[in-house]
Amino acid sequence: MSGAGPASQSDSLRAPRSERLSMSAAQIRFMTLWRREVNRFMKIKKQTIGAPLLETFLYISVFGAALGSRIKELHGFEYVVFVIPGLIMMAWATNSFANNSSSILQQKFQGAIHDQLSSPASPLELLLAFSLGGFVRGLLVAALTFTVASFLVDLPVENILVLIPALFLVGFFFSQLGVLIGVRAEQFDDVAIAQTFVLTPLIFLGGVFYSAALLPEPFQTLTKFDPVYYMIGLVRYGFLGYSESSVGLSLLFLTAATVVLTALNLRLFSKGYRLRS
Amino acid sequence: MDDYFAPDGSEAVASDKALHIENLVKCYPTGVEALRGVSIDIKPGEFFGLLGPNGAGKSTLIHCTTGLAQPTSGTIRVFGHDAIGDYAEARQAVGLAPQEVNLDWFLTAEETLDYHAGYFGMPKRERRERVKELLETFSLTAKRDERTRTLSGGMKRRLILARALMHRPPLLILDEPTAGVDIELRLELWHYVRRINQEGTTILLTTHYLEEAEQLCDRIAFIAEGQIAAQGSSDSLADSYGVANLEDAYLALVGRKELSRSRVEELAP
Repeated sequence: MSGAGPASQSDSLRAPRSERLSMSAAQIRFMTLWRREVNRFMKIKKQTIGAPLLETFLYISVFGAALGSRIKELHGFEYVVFVIPGLIMMAWATNSFANNSSSILQQKFQGAIHDQLSSPASPLELLLAFSLGGFVRGLLVAALTFTVASFLVDLPVENILVLIPALFLVGFFFSQLGVLIGVRAEQFDDVAIAQTFVLTPLIFLGGVFYSAALLPEPFQTLTKFDPVYYMIGLVRYGFLGYSESSVGLSLLFLTAATVVLTALNLRLFSKGYRLRS
Repeated sequence: MDDYFAPDGSEAVASDKALHIENLVKCYPTGVEALRGVSIDIKPGEFFGLLGPNGAGKSTLIHCTTGLAQPTSGTIRVFGHDAIGDYAEARQAVGLAPQEVNLDWFLTAEETLDYHAGYFGMPKRERRERVKELLETFSLTAKRDERTRTLSGGMKRRLILARALMHRPPLLILDEPTAGVDIELRLELWHYVRRINQEGTTILLTTHYLEEAEQLCDRIAFIAEGQIAAQGSSDSLADSYGVANLEDAYLALVGRKELSRSRVEELAP
């Protein structure tokens, strides 16, 4: 160890003040926190981008090609076209959730999260950076799914002004949910249980692969208690211009749910719940 | 403290205490009272040792200082900044090398250092230079692109210390930095921390190696059952317990005087 201490060379190492002022310390901090999250999933992209893409295209093949040949049309749309908006939403939702819950739990498990927690970062900066990691992964998978699906089928985009906010809200909602589950989780089972027993049933029963109008009672009514039903409705309306529920009310409900969940997470981060002992 | 990295050009508050802890109490939700009214003051530039048996509250005190644990009551000030009210300024002034190796498996050695400094708001150019300097200092340059999980135990220890130093903290906290390291690395680390202390960095060290504390520390505090039992120089601690050296003073603290080497030698046939 040659022993270059912190005092030695320090003056020559400091960037000129004008350069340091070009990006504030808070901006550098936030960008680094967020970059860490994106870097994590990009380093294992076969698992975090490749696998979800494959999964989505297996759904498209099975439901589009196999079932589609029997079902033909739903509400005037080719079956595979009816299904794809839901798959795009599902890709964004599940990837946002899985990324954030795993990332936070892994860092808690390794103790590596202490590096961020003992930094000057505020609870809001930490929450947003953790949230946006999964959000960006979901966005990537959804965008890739959309691009490839557009080559395979003629996918309309009827209401882009509903579609974009709806997808962003869905992505952000599930990013927040992932953060919540990751913070609460104490072992890897906790995340798996939430994903298998809560998230997947809600998404599948929300009508990704079918129209709720086809269901017999009481399932048709029960579906209306599933929040994902309204999210799929919004995204499907954005693409196809068809919706079984009120677009305005669904957007309002989704916005309110996202705000409430974000506020809850911010409160947990401020209190240091299961992050700071 | 001219090398202190103060983001946005703000300066460290002038304070005659690097670390001021007053009546610090920490009760965990499980009911465990880890700290029961601890008070210590560390002067700028001082090398301060905290000794005590496992479970005495050393790590809890460190966690409260760095924001990893939330004090139940009491005051912590780092260079005059309140650790709760002005947490950003307080944490900016502290570098922590924790007891457990808590490196991120996904990051390389270089990323570990770069991200840490980024969390502390250091601009890119400065980070690049500082990473290069510390990788060199800790003989990690050849491993810069290796993921942390592939590093040897000694390299991980060195990387943790380099990470703590990245943002040039005026107060460095070393929580058992030499636990489980080989003799060469222990001596290298001693050499390095003594040097940066001489250059102005205040150091708080916890250790189970009494020789380490004697060699390095200006002052030492004994902590047991969440309370400071005694503090002073190595000699004054021995005097206060009426024994010959720091080890015997420590044994008196933990109530195991019968283990004293002088006694063992007396008993030897």
